[in-house]
Amino acid sequence: MARIFVVDDEPDMVDLLATILRADGFEVETDTDGRSALARMLAESPDLVLLDLMMPDLDGMELLKLLRLDPKGADVPVLVVSARSGHQDQLGTLQLGANAYICKPFSPRELVRQVRQLLANAQGETRE
Amino acid sequence: MSRRRGRLQTRIARHIAFAVVVSLVLSALVLVVFRHRYVQQNMERSALTYASLISTPLVTFTEFLGSGGHGLLDQQVARLRELNQDVERLDVVNVSGRLVLRSASGEIFVYSDGIDAPVINDRGLLRAISGLETTASRVTELDGSRAYRVVAPVVQQWGGHTYSVIGTFSYSSVDRQLRSSLWLSALVLAVGLGLTQWVSVTLAGGISGDVEKLRESVQRIQEGNLTERVSVSSHDEIAELAEAFNLMANELQATIRRLRQANRELETLDQTKADLVANVSHELKTPLTALRGYLELMSEGGLGGIADEAQRAVMVCRKNVQRLSLRVEELVQLSRLDRFTALDTTREDVDLGSLLEGVFETIKPRLEDRKMEFVLRVEPDLPVLEVNLEQLERVFLNLFDNAVKFTPQGGSVLVAAKACSHDDRAGVQVRITDSGVGIPASELIRIFDRFHQVDPSSRRRFGGMGLGLSLVRSIVEAHLGAVWAESEEHVGSTFFVWLPMPEDGGITTVTEGPSVRLDSGGEDRPAVEEM
Repeated sequence: MARIFVVDDEPDMVDLLATILRADGFEVETDTDGRSALARMLAESPDLVLLDLMMPDLDGMELLKLLRLDPKGADVPVLVVSARSGHQDQLGTLQLGANAYICKPFSPRELVRQVRQLLANAQGETRE
Repeated sequence: MSRRRGRLQTRIARHIAFAVVVSLVLSALVLVVFRHRYVQQNMERSALTYASLISTPLVTFTEFLGSGGHGLLDQQVARLRELNQDVERLDVVNVSGRLVLRSASGEIFVYSDGIDAPVINDRGLLRAISGLETTASRVTELDGSRAYRVVAPVVQQWGGHTYSVIGTFSYSSVDRQLRSSLWLSALVLAVGLGLTQWVSVTLAGGISGDVEKLRESVQRIQEGNLTERVSVSSHDEIAELAEAFNLMANELQATIRRLRQANRELETLDQTKADLVANVSHELKTPLTALRGYLELMSEGGLGGIADEAQRAVMVCRKNVQRLSLRVEELVQLSRLDRFTALDTTREDVDLGSLLEGVFETIKPRLEDRKMEFVLRVEPDLPVLEVNLEQLERVFLNLFDNAVKFTPQGGSVLVAAKACSHDDRAGVQVRITDSGVGIPASELIRIFDRFHQVDPSSRRRFGGMGLGLSLVRSIVEAHLGAVWAESEEHVGSTFFVWLPMPEDGGITTVTEGPSVRLDSGGEDRPAVEEM
């Protein structure tokens, strides 16, 4: 089963995301701190990363940049979770290397749908 | 820019030169005229004296030498003529006006008295001769030149025989002197003109140089060099102007410094506000996400089954979380509209018919909930509009939502779209008519104001914060369109949205075939839907 890494500074959000994803049968790793999350991601190489943009210390944008700079993290699909709903914000995130973008507040169904789609895309690419 | 300076300098120089030249010419004329009169009077006076002095010797020579000694007479007359350079002719006439002797141009004629000598044929002369009086007069001779004629009578001491001498004097020496003084004046005038030119250009250069300094300073300030000041060497009006200019420059510099400061503060404030909005939306949306996610998991059995009562409670919670989310999103969007740059100005070709249908689909669940009739009528062949799809969806979502919100159960909402011009501009008009509570006439103008609601209690009854319509207006106006409303209390309201066609005229393209009529079904379905 696919392993998903969830990064969000809010424990409740982490909990919710993990609950939704585990209910759908995914394996979930979580972290509430950007720096340790980056290190673990690079070490564990998950199948997909769920990333919150606004975090103290190392925020989502920075984390995404650092992740993409490392060869081990260059290809992992990243789904960004953000409160910002503006066009510009979405565009900026995608330019930094995110694969998809989901705005808060989202419904669990929508989240699962996007996660599945991203994983299917990634699998398709590796198969090819 | 030296071209302009040249113009001012030339103008001043021309004025100075004109004044100097006029006075020079006038004084030269006066000098010449006075000199001429003086020289002429001098010549006439000496002619008069000469004539009376030589008359007696001349007559005596004529009497004694005329009859035989011509050679001697010649000598004597020549000697007399040498005494005055102006003398042209000397005549001796007897008392009856007959010529006795004529000496002209060095030749001398002696006539035998009284026989074939010519008679002077001039009444004035004859009168003077017969009256034995001394007269002088200016005459014009036959060849056109002016002459001065003096008649000097000679009375012999022994009486009996009397003669008169008529001297004719030429003005040619006077004219010569006049010419020479005219030449002199012309020379002086020419030199004076040269000097005038130099002096006036120098003087004008002084004035226009100061003016030029001022002008250059003005230009430098215009170019943004606010520290520019001007100093002028003179102590006249130009210096005052320079001082006034410097004062103005000081004021300008201070004002601009203040404005820049204020602008910096505003920019900081604007950034702070933007950050605040981002933070607020994060702070509000994150807990909302948690709430929504868990509520949906619960109601859909993802966390194990729950009792019916609890299920109903969860549904109420979901509905309210949904409402809260909408309001938060509205707030964020509206605060964005305040920032000039933040309103997305990207435009795409949009078919209004499909857009309206899409929005209708979004609110459909609420219609079914309230058993309302909703008719959407789109005129065929509507022009394609160049608009921001997302923003326009927000406009019609808000208007549809309002129409539904303020119309009681079982009421109806009619939406009609047609091509229509407004203020002589071609465009498309969408009309949203409800059979709701209506809006009092006094409120119609203010409903598009931010946070305005017709009745404060409606906030509790109908929900919303009064932001929806102001957002609608902001978006429509950003599209250069217009939005307005008509209403009758307890009968219903009609909202009009007019949007202009693209500038290039917009080619009409086919959109809808027949108008669609969509009546809501009667079945109960959850009001919460994805939006």
